[in-house]
Amino acid sequence: MDLEYQYLVARLQEAFARDERLSSLDIKVVLTGNRIHLIGEVPTELRRAAADEIAHGIAPGVPVRNELRVLALDEAHGPEDIG
Amino acid sequence: MIRIAAVGDVHFAEDTEGQLAPYWSRLADHADVFLLVGDLTNIGSPAQARALAKELSVVEIPMVAVLGNHDYHADDPGAVRSALEDVGVIVLEGSAVTLRVGERTLGIAGVKGFGGGFPGACGHAFGEPEMKAFMRLTERSATQLERALGELAVDYRVALTHYAPVKDTLAGERLEIFPFLGAFQLAEAIDRAGADLAIHGHAHHGTERGMTPRGVPVRNVAMPLLRRPYGLYCLDASGRHAMDTEARETCATMGE
Repeated sequence: MDLEYQYLVARLQEAFARDERLSSLDIKVVLTGNRIHLIGEVPTELRRAAADEIAHGIAPGVPVRNELRVLALDEAHGPEDIG
Repeated sequence: MIRIAAVGDVHFAEDTEGQLAPYWSRLADHADVFLLVGDLTNIGSPAQARALAKELSVVEIPMVAVLGNHDYHADDPGAVRSALEDVGVIVLEGSAVTLRVGERTLGIAGVKGFGGGFPGACGHAFGEPEMKAFMRLTERSATQLERALGELAVDYRVALTHYAPVKDTLAGERLEIFPFLGAFQLAEAIDRAGADLAIHGHAHHGTERGMTPRGVPVRNVAMPLLRRPYGLYCLDASGRHAMDTEARETCATMGE
């Protein structure tokens, strides 16, 4: 992995924070070979797609594997007794 | 017994409209009060605040909130606050509110808080003006929280913050970012003033349960962590230790 690729992680995460379609601070970026992996969870399919577009915009021509998942909520379950 | 529903970090925007109202509309069946601990919108825009307010309009129990860092991003936290207040949410920032729940009184003191870290790896108000300003915001938040908690004369006291008061509930997050996730001064304030429960959000990859050095239970209710639309917590009948049998049975069956 060359030096440019190491800075690419920071550039992508900055873009994910600043782009208001996403505004996410906790998408994990992993570079393997010449591929970008996006890892984590987002609330909607729209934000998952936005992450993909942003990554392609920052690193044109670099393959992106979008492994982001859309958060699925369970029903609230039983309460906890606070002693 | 007081039944508390709490959540933070819903990061609401136009694209999440309708996702939470189906759960929140049934809150009155399970809880006496709904506490919201910041990052309620994704960027704090007026449009997102209005969308969130519409989603919250189905809630039929008292709602109390603090804002989070995302709610400040559009530089207009007042718009978020106003939209929430329009649907009856009580928004705290260095302040407190007392609610009556049946025969009991519940006091909630809240502040957004800020970062700074935890003993052994924390910032100090030293050096450049920017660093001093950073830490003084944290210290000011803690002072406000302690004062607000201390002024409550109630059966139960709950401290609400967006940032974490302890590092217990950050376990799972990367150690390098702990100073951006919370500050020990918030726990110190809670311990000095006393509380029955402290609730925060902000740490999506943390841990739900923790405790302050003096033993106040701390719960991280960031929705990405909980993976449910809210967490439910019961304070015991005396507000300290004893829960009578009837209250315990009610608490045990409440979430069914």
